[in-house]
Amino acid sequence: MIVLSRLSVALQRRFGRQRIRKIALGSVPFLVLVAIWHANTVFEWLPPVFVPAIGEVWDAIFFLQEDCPGFVPLIQLDNDCMMTTHILSSLGRVILATVVGLPAGIALGILAGMNRPISKFLEPVGVFANSISGIAWIPLAIVWFGVGWVTTLFIMLNTIFWLMFFNSMLGVRSVAKVYEDSILTMGGSRWDVITQVYLPGAMPSIITGMRMSMGFGWRALIAAEMIGGDSGLGFMIFTSAAEFKIEEVFLGVIIMALIFMATDRYLLAPLEKWTVERWGLVWKPT
Amino acid sequence: MQSRSKLDRFLWSLQQLMKIDAMNLVILVIFVLIGWSLISDNIANPARYLPSPIAVALSSVDMLVKGLLPSYFSDTLLRLIIGSAIGLAAGIPFGLLLGLNRTVADMFHPMLNFFQSVSGIAIFPIVVIWYGNSDVTVLIVILYTSFFPIAFNVLSGVREIPIRYINAARTLGASRFQVMKDVLFPGAMPHIATGSRLSIGFAWRAVIAGEMLAGRQGLGWMIFTGQDSDKTTEIILGMVIIGFTWIILDHYLLRPLEERTIERWGLVQR
Repeated sequence: MIVLSRLSVALQRRFGRQRIRKIALGSVPFLVLVAIWHANTVFEWLPPVFVPAIGEVWDAIFFLQEDCPGFVPLIQLDNDCMMTTHILSSLGRVILATVVGLPAGIALGILAGMNRPISKFLEPVGVFANSISGIAWIPLAIVWFGVGWVTTLFIMLNTIFWLMFFNSMLGVRSVAKVYEDSILTMGGSRWDVITQVYLPGAMPSIITGMRMSMGFGWRALIAAEMIGGDSGLGFMIFTSAAEFKIEEVFLGVIIMALIFMATDRYLLAPLEKWTVERWGLVWKPT
Repeated sequence: MQSRSKLDRFLWSLQQLMKIDAMNLVILVIFVLIGWSLISDNIANPARYLPSPIAVALSSVDMLVKGLLPSYFSDTLLRLIIGSAIGLAAGIPFGLLLGLNRTVADMFHPMLNFFQSVSGIAIFPIVVIWYGNSDVTVLIVILYTSFFPIAFNVLSGVREIPIRYINAARTLGASRFQVMKDVLFPGAMPHIATGSRLSIGFAWRAVIAGEMLAGRQGLGWMIFTGQDSDKTTEIILGMVIIGFTWIILDHYLLRPLEERTIERWGLVQR
């Protein structure tokens, strides 16, 4: 008992009372869910073909990785490492599309937003492209690039690029012209205006665009992998479902959720917080 | 002299016309169409890779005459409306109910966040195993995609309501239901508006993807079979229709609704 109370005091000192409470409370529904899931396996309310046992989902990891020849082939996306290859190829696409699409979208968006007459013309383009971005492009992408890596990358890139383009354009346009004029009056160059006025001014909008592009892009990527891909987590769960290997489907869905939550929580949320602290503009009271 | 002033006046009126947004749009559309047909004229095998705008327009006429386009369109729209209506009708009360108690709200917040991040398209293979390639599958996927974002947003909104408002209402003798109706619901209103727009946005994409994957008739199915049967005109036609439908839904229905709600209810001060 004393040990337990000492432990709880130590934990509270280390992580803070509120955080412990949050974690403890938040884990309750998950535990209940897992308990119900396990009870389902024991009492067979739903047959195991529909809902697999927890142990089977765990075993699926090792079953999928069974033939993996080692660490180096794992990184080289060897086809025998059936789980890690799909995870890494999905992640690779996300990273590649982000690295290419994000800067391109921001740069072109700022360029378009700087020139008001041009941005007036380009705004409807952005609206339209955003409303069809992602999933609706899949069939045309398959026609253009065939089934495979390029199609899925294209879908992701398309989603990210247009969201970033549109959001940074709107962000730049929302910056008051006074700031731009004051920089120019004080002898700043065009480049100074971009780095000192437009980029910080558009930052809140850009960050919102980033979060949205992750949410929409990740969803579009999964759909694209299912319909027009030959690797990736979406492809993995789709083919597993076709073979009625439900434990692999559950595994894939859980992995996807964990990856998405991790990126949102440890990458995007801190970024947003940092922006608020640095520029303090994200949340505007009405 | 006379003619010059006439020309000036003409130019002036042209400039006035240019200032109107609708005119910009017309000019833009003309430019896009010209560029599109130039590209499609200059590539090999345009019928497969990028048919000209005229071909797409002709195929739309063809599909209209055959009656396919209206039926696909109404199928898709009906699915979206039914799915998101049930999802919203279930999600908003669910979020409010969970928000009644702070502890319960803190408890379910991470779980809703988890299910919100599992996209509806990702659970599609599971639902297919459960219900096969049927209309039920598509409907469940739409329901799932529209339910969790709205429930999560409503719960987040409820959690942001200052606790003293709830306490004040309780002190004045309000029942649980009255707290929900008069404090939580109006307080969460901006979040409800944002959440429903997000929900319907995700649901719209889920409808398209679900139709493609489950093979149910609709706009998503139309563009998917267009790819299978090598009719690129149908793909592009479908994409244009999907785009315009979403623009109309979003800009003329959801966004004004959201803005008005936030204007009306979004004044909760801390």
